[in-house]
Amino acid sequence: MDARCGVDLGSRFVKIAVEVDGDRRFLGPFDTAEFYRKHIEAGKDGGALRKKDFGLGEEVRVGATGYGRARLGGGAVMFPELEAIAAGVAAMTGIREAVILDVGGQDSKALLVRDGRLADFEANDRCAASAGKFLENMSRVLGMDWEELGRYREDPVELSSTCAVYGETELVGLLGEGWPVERLAAGVNRAILGRLLPLLARFPRRTLVLTGGVARNRALRAMLADRLGVEPVVPEPPDFVAAVGCCRLLLEEV
Amino acid sequence: MKIGITTTVPVEVIYAAGHIPVDLNNVFVSHPERERLIEEAELAGFPRSFCAWVKGIYGAAREMDDLGAVVAVTQGDCSNTHGLMETLQSEGMEVIPFAYPYERDYVLLRAQVEAFMRRLAVDWHEVEDTLRRLDRVRRRAHRLDELTWKEGLVTGLENHLVLVGCSDMEGDPDAYGRKLEDLLARVGERERDPGFPRAGDMVRLGYLGVPPMAPELYDYLETLGARVVYNEVQRQFSLPFRTADLVEKYRRYSYPYSIFYRLRDIRREARRRRLDGLIHYVQSFCFRQVEDIILRRSLSLPMLTLELDRSSRLDARTRMRLENFVSMLRREKHG
Ligand code: SF4
Repeated sequence: MDARCGVDLGSRFVKIAVEVDGDRRFLGPFDTAEFYRKHIEAGKDGGALRKKDFGLGEEVRVGATGYGRARLGGGAVMFPELEAIAAGVAAMTGIREAVILDVGGQDSKALLVRDGRLADFEANDRCAASAGKFLENMSRVLGMDWEELGRYREDPVELSSTCAVYGETELVGLLGEGWPVERLAAGVNRAILGRLLPLLARFPRRTLVLTGGVARNRALRAMLADRLGVEPVVPEPPDFVAAVGCCRLLLEEV
Repeated sequence: MKIGITTTVPVEVIYAAGHIPVDLNNVFVSHPERERLIEEAELAGFPRSFCAWVKGIYGAAREMDDLGAVVAVTQGDCSNTHGLMETLQSEGMEVIPFAYPYERDYVLLRAQVEAFMRRLAVDWHEVEDTLRRLDRVRRRAHRLDELTWKEGLVTGLENHLVLVGCSDMEGDPDAYGRKLEDLLARVGERERDPGFPRAGDMVRLGYLGVPPMAPELYDYLETLGARVVYNEVQRQFSLPFRTADLVEKYRRYSYPYSIFYRLRDIRREARRRRLDGLIHYVQSFCFRQVEDIILRRSLSLPMLTLELDRSSRLDARTRMRLENFVSMLRREKHG
């Protein structure tokens, strides 16, 4: 039997992909802090994943990536995050030549992938509150869930800040001025687009794959398509790409 | 008296005059309470969105009670330092101006050096004597730099420290020379130590830009199997030019001049040192961030741009970027 498990320990959520004899399952997302408390037990070389919590036998091999993976030992194989994303995209979509835009909870990055492997990347953004965090705060102010926020892109109100903190103050002010929430929501999506485009500027125009939770935002997808002239491909589910990538990379480990 | 400097200036003049140069960058970055120095600058009114090096230097300068004067580089450094100097001046500090002419004009630079000499009351004879004395120390630093990339026996952090130390020679050229001599001896012993990781087996990196706010970077890279074998600006601080003419030496020194002149040095060294990739370090809120555009357009090696603000620690995202970069280069190198 071939059984592998990929764990993406993100800054906010943990995503797990399990592959057993060609069958793929997704577990999570789990809250990261809670995950540490409940599903990691102390071992001699760091924490070990309690496999039985997820119905996995001891023979299941574990690959891990993400910011928190240093916490994980217990025989888990560690993979650099961007390589995991590139491998995950190849495994989920079959695409091996692309630019991947990954918009996560803590930061965003663009990856150039050749032959299914990471060839270059751009991650030059200092702000710790990334696109994901910004969207989260803004949707709270607007009283919308993610799904709804992702519906608006017409007539965006211009926001001067993509900072999650300043942006909130600004948005509250604009609400007070009486702007319609739909146009404000469009403005929020437009602001994110403006922040993501510079990441892509350096790479050739080719197949664009959008990964990370923010890929669910349909307005953003449409705006990217408008600006770049290509419809982004979104693997399903987009936030599990790195976890799947770990499963895939385990195949190459002897 | 102690004279503070914020970037490499002809320290020969300071030493010849019997004064002691103190590189305030080094004072700040090696200070046990560097965060407090930055905070003090912010309490004095320096904005949060301002270069942390400048704030740290301000804090360091304010804390030293035996600092007699500071040299202000009015051309060839940045306008942030400019603002710093004027602030210190307004607080009663004696400021000695020095300018690197942008066009690298020999006559203009010579005039600057001579004005500096008049200010400190020394003649050419004394300055040239001092130059010979300091060059003997610098030669050891150059030897260590060579051992870094040719033999792979010096770590990236050691290389960095040896070269940044050349800016003021830690206030005592003879002692600094002995320190380098000791390190040379230790490095010699590594030759027989098969356990010491050689740069030849590692991913070979070049470091471009101003020195890092977090020198921890170097050791972190070593844990990833990568070594910095070229510290661009730090190497410039050691004036690695074969000339006995002081003015010419500071004319060849690349840092204060145009980025295009720096590029010539970077290209030559990248080839010679067989670099696999480059890290371009940029300081938050520094105008040099924009130089990234030109460096990327002009150099064909893979490049990672790294930005840090004030912390002496590498945050998780910075580590993630470094790790992915090194892993990518390793695969390119070894397949
Ligand atoms: S890092 Fe940039 S802004 Fe700061 S002192 Fe140096 S040149 Fe000036």
